Amino acid sequence: MKELDLVILGAGPAGLGAAIEAAKAGVKVGLLDENPEPGGQIYRHMVDSFQITQPKLLGHDYTRGQKLLAEFNTIRERVEYIGGALVWGLFPGSELTYIQDSNPHGVHYRKLIIAVGAYDRPVPFPGWTLPGVFTAGAAQQMIKTQGLMPGERFLLAGTGPLLLSLANLITDAGGEVVAIAEAGKIENWFQMIQGAWGNWRLIADGLRYLKGIYRARIPLLRSHVIVKARGNGQVQEAVVAPVDQTWQPLTDQRRTLKVDTVCVGYGFVPSVELTRLAECNHKYEPLLGGWVPVRNSYMETSIYGVYAAGDCTSIAGSLVAVEEGRIAGLAVAQSLGHLSQMEADQKMAPCRRRMAKLEPLRRQLDGISMPRTGLYGLSTEDTIICRCEEITLSEIKKAIAGGATDMNEIKRMTRTGMGNCQGRMCGPALQGIIARAQGLAISDINYYNIRPPIKPVLFTALNRKIGE
Amino acid sequence: MPDRRVKKGIKRGDPFEIEVDGEKITAYEGETIATALLAAGRRTLRHTIHKKHPRGVYCGIGLCYECMMVINGVPNLRACQTLATAGCRVETQEGLGRLDVER
Repeated sequence: MKELDLVILGAGPAGLGAAIEAAKAGVKVGLLDENPEPGGQIYRHMVDSFQITQPKLLGHDYTRGQKLLAEFNTIRERVEYIGGALVWGLFPGSELTYIQDSNPHGVHYRKLIIAVGAYDRPVPFPGWTLPGVFTAGAAQQMIKTQGLMPGERFLLAGTGPLLLSLANLITDAGGEVVAIAEAGKIENWFQMIQGAWGNWRLIADGLRYLKGIYRARIPLLRSHVIVKARGNGQVQEAVVAPVDQTWQPLTDQRRTLKVDTVCVGYGFVPSVELTRLAECNHKYEPLLGGWVPVRNSYMETSIYGVYAAGDCTSIAGSLVAVEEGRIAGLAVAQSLGHLSQMEADQKMAPCRRRMAKLEPLRRQLDGISMPRTGLYGLSTEDTIICRCEEITLSEIKKAIAGGATDMNEIKRMTRTGMGNCQGRMCGPALQGIIARAQGLAISDINYYNIRPPIKPVLFTALNRKIGE
Repeated sequence: MPDRRVKKGIKRGDPFEIEVDGEKITAYEGETIATALLAAGRRTLRHTIHKKHPRGVYCGIGLCYECMMVINGVPNLRACQTLATAGCRVETQEGLGRLDVER
């Protein structure tokens, strides 16, 4: 079994930041990612065989990503980058297992940094399983990294600035955005500008997005949500409705839009499968995206030697993620004796300053975009909640009526959360559904127990000894 | 056949063909199988096990497993994470799919 001082899981902004700082300090680092190349979701670049003659398509994130990847390249020789690695388990004795090229592998580490990011919050509504309904992140990814326009006439629904940037991306690349349904109150966006005060680059981005939407004459429906997607075999129309304070749709004033594509973006959910497998303590923080690992100011979790950084610990975006990653990398370097406490703190100071500058904006964004409970009431009796096992709301309600009180009991009674995605797509909504049914707060609902394998792996790969 | 590729501002390499349910469609180096199919207007990538519902790409980042297809005879592979290669054979996955195992 391979031996490494530090293993970093995830090569997005946080993982790269951690790898750069730890390697510079002399730590023997292994960096694992499921993608062949580093960059994560946000800095994943257009495929190499494509030539981009119009960089406008790629935006500021692209420039930021190129800079971080260039910094990583200066120390890349000192990092063992393990691409195409599907990590499926953490085991006692500081061991982790992964599959690469259909072969099983294992690593023994002294320190672990989990930096696996987040994913679009799945929100069930009637028709959300139809082909043509994508997450906002999926649409962004397809246009930016694959040069693919995933439809012709788009409805963007959800909350937050990603919808605005996606509307611009689609319009610039030649698609038509029929409407944007923003669940939050747009009035609050002025607060957001206050929060962004001093972060001029971000304000400029925001204004540019709004200008683009205005110029393309895209209707921005305030306090509206998508309540239904319909179509024969794929999306042909979508229904939107205004919402109250809790984002519960009002029954009148529904409107049907002729669209063939729906992109849904209700913010992000931190990926906590690995911090849960590591048995770190978690707390429920709705403003940070849901269940998140508890950490100290050095990004160390409640488990000694296990650190977590970036969006998998709280939704704050790539700019905060890279700073958190750097701090975690420095903290590990210090704990392994490569830096003195004073040297580490000195190197962390500029990271902490940059994070503090972003903090007000982050708080504003969180306040506007935090999902309200009404969202979890969009499903009707026959709406699929668990996409993998095809479990409907009425089956879940039946389980609750039959005595199930938490997610794990519902899982055992119905198979909800037992499918290929291992509960990632149904989990966040199921918490909301149980809370509504029982009149409890979401924080009172325990999350699924997470067990290896956290992603499906072939038995033929497990049946071989590691290193054979 | 529609082509939903963004042409403005992007220069692609040479095209090649892949086979989807016996039909030939065009792909370019670096594209995933999901991209090539969506570009050709094919959105249904599988039918579910119990209700036979059509499903297609949803999360696009390899987490939801909605885009599972049978690729070169191997079922349950994510079309959004699998690169298209010249001549590869792709089938719409019906239910669990079928793995041909040599005995």
